[in-house]
Amino acid sequence: MQRKIAIVGYAQTHHEADPPNTREGMVFEVAKGALDKAGITREAIDTVINVSSDYQDGRTISNLFLVMAEGAYLKDESKVEMDGAFGVLYAMMRILSGTHDTAMVVGVTQGSIFSPHQISFYTLDPTFDRQIGLLNDVAAAAIQARMYKNKYDVSDEQIAMVSVKNLVNATSNPYAHRRIPKPTVKKVLNSKLYCDPIRELNISPISDGACALILASEEKAKEITDAPVWVKGVGNCQDSYLRDRNLLKLESLETAAKKAYKMAGVKDPPTELDVAEVTERFSHEELMIYEALGLCREGKGKILIETGVTERKGQTPVNPSGGALGADPVLATGLVRIVEAAKQIRGEAGKYQIQGVRQALAHGQTGLCAQSNIVFILGGER
Amino acid sequence: MEEKQIKYKTEETIATEGEWPVGDYKYKAWKHHEEFKEGLKEKKIVGSICSGCGRVYVPPAYICGRCFRWMEERTIVSDRGIITSFVLSNPMKKGMKILGMDPVDMGIVADGEVLIPCMVKFDGSDSFVQTILLNVDPKDAKVGMRVQVVWAKEPKGQLSDIEGVEPIK
Amino acid sequence: MMRRNVAIIGCGQTKHGRLRNVNTAEMISEAAWNAMEDAKVTPDEVEAIVVGNMQGFGGIYDTELWAGELFGAPKPFLRITTGGTTGGSVAHGGYYSVASGLHDVVLAVAWEKHSDSKERGATTGLAHVAMANMFHDLQQGASLKWLVSLVTGAAIGVSAFQASCYMYRSGCKVEHLDMVAAKDRRNAAKNEYAHLRWPNCTPEDIAKTEWVSYPLRFGHVCPASDGASAVVFAEEKIAKKKAERPAWIKSVAAYADEPNWLGENSQGTAITDLSEQLECIISAKEAYRRAGIKDPRKEIDMAEIYQPFPHQELMFSERLDLFDDGKAWIALEEGQTEIDGSMPLDPSGGVISTNAIGSSAMQRVLECALQIMGKAGKHQVPKDVKNAVAHGWGGSVNFTTVAVLGDSPRR
Repeated sequence: MQRKIAIVGYAQTHHEADPPNTREGMVFEVAKGALDKAGITREAIDTVINVSSDYQDGRTISNLFLVMAEGAYLKDESKVEMDGAFGVLYAMMRILSGTHDTAMVVGVTQGSIFSPHQISFYTLDPTFDRQIGLLNDVAAAAIQARMYKNKYDVSDEQIAMVSVKNLVNATSNPYAHRRIPKPTVKKVLNSKLYCDPIRELNISPISDGACALILASEEKAKEITDAPVWVKGVGNCQDSYLRDRNLLKLESLETAAKKAYKMAGVKDPPTELDVAEVTERFSHEELMIYEALGLCREGKGKILIETGVTERKGQTPVNPSGGALGADPVLATGLVRIVEAAKQIRGEAGKYQIQGVRQALAHGQTGLCAQSNIVFILGGER
Repeated sequence: MEEKQIKYKTEETIATEGEWPVGDYKYKAWKHHEEFKEGLKEKKIVGSICSGCGRVYVPPAYICGRCFRWMEERTIVSDRGIITSFVLSNPMKKGMKILGMDPVDMGIVADGEVLIPCMVKFDGSDSFVQTILLNVDPKDAKVGMRVQVVWAKEPKGQLSDIEGVEPIK
Repeated sequence: MMRRNVAIIGCGQTKHGRLRNVNTAEMISEAAWNAMEDAKVTPDEVEAIVVGNMQGFGGIYDTELWAGELFGAPKPFLRITTGGTTGGSVAHGGYYSVASGLHDVVLAVAWEKHSDSKERGATTGLAHVAMANMFHDLQQGASLKWLVSLVTGAAIGVSAFQASCYMYRSGCKVEHLDMVAAKDRRNAAKNEYAHLRWPNCTPEDIAKTEWVSYPLRFGHVCPASDGASAVVFAEEKIAKKKAERPAWIKSVAAYADEPNWLGENSQGTAITDLSEQLECIISAKEAYRRAGIKDPRKEIDMAEIYQPFPHQELMFSERLDLFDDGKAWIALEEGQTEIDGSMPLDPSGGVISTNAIGSSAMQRVLECALQIMGKAGKHQVPKDVKNAVAHGWGGSVNFTTVAVLGDSPRR
């Protein structure tokens, strides 16, 4: 990369179902929080990228009224309308270009305003699929889950183990939305059925939440903090439409991960990644994500979850924060993953800190069945 | 597909009917209007004032984006001010449908009335309130005109307590 | 650090108008393919795609999830949507994608398909900008008379009030708005992709149209167009290989002001003059500084200004520092802003002639590129174009995108 870039500050809200806070309030909270964490003022930020969705917020030009709250007054600003992690990519591009040295990325979605599952309906092909009225994100994921289960002989229990792992992890995360006291495979399998084989505890919750992080070029990062989290690599790719792509494999995630690994010089992900924070909107998705990230071979995701490799104590912990199953503030979720990965590197993850994290992976997604994916590789000082 | 669902055909395509009502939204808001309305009940115009730059926002706002701080303090501004902008509607006519209503028929406006939506900057405020200019010939409406609020006879603590503004005689 | 030079090597558009013979996916692909052909690149050579449109208008969320394969998927995509500035923001996104060094060739495509919406004139999506606020106000006991006055008097929204502010500030008259509209409709007649084309339009023709709400007439108002536009960005080596005369991006800037028309849920905002447009003034200053332009009035040869309403052509040409504050109407009277004048503004006809909202601000960048490349056909300005400025506005007129393009890379 033309310049080295680091994360120097961040903040997130406590993600909840419908807290008495407006999106403006949440944005202000995290923007101020990120600046306070970095120890800088608004004046030090060169550019602001907002991440929010018109349909979710019920406001065309969803970033219009957030300018003041996100600290973008008289600043060079723009907006990305995909998962927050893509907003971080755009902010990185702005710094890499040399035009800016620092950037703030703020993502917010209040799922309570309008159900994200209903929004997913509008991503369908309008000429045919939407007219039939049978598909939405859950139904499409159910189709994918069934294909995956059949091909690789994966059981509902194995898939439920992902939910249990992440929900247990979420109980240690004060920011997580879903904090179920004693999650078990039985509880998951007895939860409300949405679209066979997908049940309520296989799906991420609908959260209201916001997240912000601050990026800086190398020179500025060194001025701002002693613990910069360097972006070592990034890669993204978007698949074709739902009916035109291979649903058995997260191909665009595989492509994205390969690019990010190449940039970061990662040759053997299972040994070189100390932790991964991925966006798993459905628990079976996490198994497919393991495979696409190269943590195991195709179809072998079930072995990783069964043998505990991705538990907090395992060789490659995945989602120690609880992941999306713990909290899903829609467009802010990918940003949260990056922040959680950064926290691990800085040793600030409290009760769910993994020991000795030097290199971490963060993943964000957008679109039905994880159609568009982005992967970041983050590294500490050593 | 039934014939009557096909709206029309061109050589290359057909156009069909479809309706996707987006759905019910549940917006969340601060209580800035609650504060504003409490003031209106007493014929007072309430604004928030930034402890950093001193700017006064009417109706009250909570975040000063310039100073990047929360605005805790409130102040009262005058109910007199100036017109900073206005537009003229076309004359209202009976039978004209606006949002499914016939305003003349409903008695909301008079037949032939020209409505003058305007922006008013009250003395002491740094923002504008959007309202209607009343009791003036549209030809005489001017930016810079001094006006005062036309209060409802019995303010109830709602936005329509400000019926509009009229020129100060 | 060594900054990468980026150029536009190809442009593509669809004809703009009421397009009922294509669906959105086909419309976007047409522009994307036109741009790739013009740039002499194959889809494989395009490494990433930046897209944008105003999602509320067409009723499809993230259209490229469905349509992407027609013009490039699977591939890295980035969606940027910022209201009226969308097209400009998408173009900036394409520029930054290459300037960052992460990609060498990027396609940027922006579009709008208003006619898919039930509401005439794109009011569905536009109203939604204010609708959440209006619902809120009605629940707070706003009067029906207030609502009726807004819908009839300010149907075109904040721009109508802005025209009133600007006329007071600058002293320009409605006659000047007629002159701008007529000039742009004449220019559009020379642009085969434009929507409203009126070859011999005169200010008197415009003055004969009815008032929408004083001071704006029907003749002043932009159409709601369907259409897509696309450009291909490339880094320096590739640009020099592919294009005879690449259009170099010398700088981009996009500053934001406080929302000009109330805040979220109608909180107050500290703006009283809608024609002040601080964000445009600052964007222009920064864009010129980044581009190494010291005297825009001498160095900029033409401008494509985002002007769905005619007063905005005058107002923004002043904020872009091409004329003194309040003096643009004098230049207009003197013919300076005509297509063959000393400072041609909107030789393409501009947004007042063609407004596919998502695409409009991209078209300003595209048109400047065409002028520099010498490919603007009948609406090519007769003078040598060394530097051009492309402008866009959006939001409640508090967003801006400014790009400075030139016939040589910034050194």
